[in-house]
Amino acid sequence: MLEPFSMHQPRSAGEASAMLSHFGEDATVYAGGTELLVVMKERLAHFPHLIDIKRIPGLADITYDPERRELIIGSTARHRDLERSPLVRQWLPALAALEASVANVRVRAAGTIGGNLCFAEPHSDPATLLTALDARLTLTSASGTREIAMASFITGLMETNRRHDEILTSLAVPESGPRTGVAYERFKLHERPTAAVAALVTIESGTITDARIVAGSVGARPQRLPDAEAMLRGQSANESSAWLAADLIRMEVETTSDAFESEAYKRQLARTVGYRAIVAAIRQATGADGSRHAA
Amino acid sequence: MTATDTEVRARTAIGHDAPRVDAVAKVTGAGQFAGDLKLHGMAYGRLLRSPYAHARIVGIDTNRAAALPGVIAVMTGDDVPAADPYYGHALKDRPILAIDRVRFAGEPVVAVAAEDPAIADEAVTLIDIIYEEMPTAVTIAAALADDAPHLHDVVNVRAGLFHGLGEIHLEPGNVCYHHAFARGDMDAVFAAADVVIAGEYTFPAVYQYSLEPHTTIAQWTGADDLTVWSSCQHPFLVRAELADLYALPVGAVRVVVPYLGGGFGSKSYTKMEPITSALARVAGRPVRIANSIDEAMVTTRRHGMKAFMRTAATRDGRLLAREVRAWFDTGAYADNGPRVVATGADAAPGPYRWEAVRVDAWGVYTNTSPAGSYRAFGASHLQWCGELQVDEIGRRCGLDALQMRERNLLSRGESVRPGGKPLDADLIGDIRKVAASLNWESPKPAGIVGRGMSVGLLAAGAHPVSTAAVRMEADGGVVLLVSSTEVGQGARTVFGQIVAEELALPLDRVRVLGGDTRVTPYDRSTGASRSTTIAGLAVQRAAADVRAQILAIGARLFDLPETALEIRAASVWHEGESVPYRDVLKAHFGMVGGELIGHGEVRPEKGSGSYAEGPVFWEVCIGGAEVVVDPETGRVTVTKAVSVADVGKAINPRLVEAQEMGGAMQGIGNALHEEMLFDETGTLLNATLYEYHVPTIADMPHTFASNIVENEDGPGPYGAKGVGEGALAGVAAAIATALADAGVIIDELPATPERVWRALRMHDDRNDEDSTGSAANERATGGAASWG
Repeated sequence: MLEPFSMHQPRSAGEASAMLSHFGEDATVYAGGTELLVVMKERLAHFPHLIDIKRIPGLADITYDPERRELIIGSTARHRDLERSPLVRQWLPALAALEASVANVRVRAAGTIGGNLCFAEPHSDPATLLTALDARLTLTSASGTREIAMASFITGLMETNRRHDEILTSLAVPESGPRTGVAYERFKLHERPTAAVAALVTIESGTITDARIVAGSVGARPQRLPDAEAMLRGQSANESSAWLAADLIRMEVETTSDAFESEAYKRQLARTVGYRAIVAAIRQATGADGSRHAA
Repeated sequence: MTATDTEVRARTAIGHDAPRVDAVAKVTGAGQFAGDLKLHGMAYGRLLRSPYAHARIVGIDTNRAAALPGVIAVMTGDDVPAADPYYGHALKDRPILAIDRVRFAGEPVVAVAAEDPAIADEAVTLIDIIYEEMPTAVTIAAALADDAPHLHDVVNVRAGLFHGLGEIHLEPGNVCYHHAFARGDMDAVFAAADVVIAGEYTFPAVYQYSLEPHTTIAQWTGADDLTVWSSCQHPFLVRAELADLYALPVGAVRVVVPYLGGGFGSKSYTKMEPITSALARVAGRPVRIANSIDEAMVTTRRHGMKAFMRTAATRDGRLLAREVRAWFDTGAYADNGPRVVATGADAAPGPYRWEAVRVDAWGVYTNTSPAGSYRAFGASHLQWCGELQVDEIGRRCGLDALQMRERNLLSRGESVRPGGKPLDADLIGDIRKVAASLNWESPKPAGIVGRGMSVGLLAAGAHPVSTAAVRMEADGGVVLLVSSTEVGQGARTVFGQIVAEELALPLDRVRVLGGDTRVTPYDRSTGASRSTTIAGLAVQRAAADVRAQILAIGARLFDLPETALEIRAASVWHEGESVPYRDVLKAHFGMVGGELIGHGEVRPEKGSGSYAEGPVFWEVCIGGAEVVVDPETGRVTVTKAVSVADVGKAINPRLVEAQEMGGAMQGIGNALHEEMLFDETGTLLNATLYEYHVPTIADMPHTFASNIVENEDGPGPYGAKGVGEGALAGVAAAIATALADAGVIIDELPATPERVWRALRMHDDRNDEDSTGSAANERATGGAASWG
């Protein structure tokens, strides 16, 4: 059962940041609450002050910047908003598809993208894909605003680069370029995925020219997999290349141990979903799946 | 036609899919569960549970908790106001609250009653307990080791009220029960056998996972009158134990059972009632204790098991002998362990013709949460092991699974065990139905696909004592008093149908009450698939009693012999002339008022009805499955599940199918997903649905075939026998045999994706030195075309 707490509803990110500074460690940001309230209910943590940022105007907006060809997603946009947003569906269909499969509909209806990223739960679906998409996060505090790459935002198990007084206000996700496929594949036994891989592959004349491969869920945080990426560049866009990369994924991915699956098995799963994600991305990039990215 | 002869009268109310009588109340939220009840002045109880699996309690300081405003009572093991602070229906080994020592992580140590749940929650955080950790025995192996700590002084343990399984003579150690039987010259048969298959098997502890956790409210009226509202399956056994604990006459204790949100054995016998009633007595107020799910998971569970089994056969596939040794992990307290062990041992040989059999089974204490009943207990533990060995023998002898069973299964009337009831079912007919539903002879689809079948027997019915009362009111309607608990299985609907049938009434004129030990008559228990068979028979007899009374009055009204009358459409008839029941009663009582009361009783018809002479009937545990295995991830998809409900007579076929499907789903969960994981300190690691995988709609078989067999060969009403447990054991074992058919040899359940993946790798390694590399290359060269 939840212990009593005070809730504060600032009207701007600056005000929210000031509140966090004022209350210090007694306060934390409250967005969707789907993870925070569970932790508090289990009495694993207690915050006498919750700073509810959902009332901040504009913080849930989703817009498209045609100049920079980027989707700008407000941090309090809920998973369900992303799943159903015409803009996300148009410009980042892989993200829209992923958001439709996050947890369950009750979580999607309340949980926010910003809360998900800041909580840094290692099984986060969006964190893995957004790392592959080279998203950038905007953090605001009383002392100013800074931008940080998704790839360096999550630093460890439930740890991020966000300072205590900073509010994640939005993320900018660049549209993936022409002849580029993006896919996310996961293996899920329980509520959370056991292994997930996001793959972004660009193809010129049947040859892979760029690849970004990110593994999630198996380790403490989303991991870029440079060996697999390097292997794919210059290779023919086919299943053989995908298998070779998948074998490298198994070797280079970092895994954490738990009571449920062995690390060897997690490596195997990363290899399998990695293969499936790369093949799906290749099919998309080459138009083999009938998508808009056909060269 | 004579009205008293139900065998020839056309049946109208049974044998069809009557809608559930409780459906509207449940889906509209009007149905009352224990957690919906609020009594005037009711306090909320909360338990402080041990974080240690085995520790001495050095000191407890409850002062801060007691001083918290809103706290009504704080109770420790020393404060429990019972005449006997120990309970347990099989063995009295369990303190109501821990006394001096805790034996599992999650054991209740202090109970708090407060004005509201939040205060109670707060209060338990203010209690300080000093523990001194003791060596633990968390696994069966650890508990059986020579230097294992002993959890109990088993030499001096007392039998509970319902031990019922013979004399207790235990050696010092952690074995709380040993059940063994043997016949034939096993050594000689094994020595002469052509084929011997041996294996070691591991079976997991699982939680029964009813949606509603245990909830109990207790209220004392003075010092000698206790009422308990509880989510319990066996109200009369709970009553007896509570009366025993407080040294009260049984009539002084009243147990009322609202609707249950599922039980599956988790609410059998006594669970939270002793602690709640003790706290209510200390508090001087009604008290409610409602378990959360994680608390419910350490309140009861299914026994994990380790077993060794070997089976001998001739080279042409005739089964000869089987030897089984099995150790059941009953956790820190016996709960229903002895009966689970006995039933599991009884089922271990399987329904085959043996020249020699030897079975030894032990119940073992460990420092984990207590284990008790779970749907299909006994059968589910060892059926899968035995059936795997039957199939393996078949593979060595060139016979398929169907041929092996056709050759070796017992026939109707053959002895299942000496002294017990002979086989009362057509198993070969049943298994052929499984084969037909699986399209046994058809080629398998591409991929790693397996098909399996399994058959076993479960000693069902428990002790055959039930009573029922039918009250026909002045308007001709009926109130049925019967104490079988509606756990979701549809008991109230089936009982209503039986009364409607016997009294020629529409179902909506029959009201079926929930169990209330001060109102509804005695029923032993709701479990062992006994409600329709035994309680249903009592209901049928009670209704027949009222029918006889109506006909006797009718005979006076018509001035005709009873044999000239019949009942139909809520009236007594002679040829074209009829008198409605209400007028029959009015003629009898002289005005609009009065009632006819019918009594129905079922008790052992010969002998004592003891376990050894039983069972009431053999429940057929039969199933089939087709599985597809993903070689990359090890994930198993059940493409087809098959059950055969050998029910004698389906009083409500749709409810039979629902029972079968529910059992099959739990069988799928048991076979593929569910497993309680305790770490080396005895802490349960997966007490939430995040980590404990209960099968969901996504795990349903792609197709489910339920065959209902109605040979009218059961001891219940209209030849019915129980249903509901067989599919769980049958389908779970069929999934294991289907995996073996696909080349995945599993000796530990559940067959999680990782275990299946590892089994496939071992299979590959046997066939290919460098399995992973070559497998990858094969695939790579298989699809080298470029799309670029």
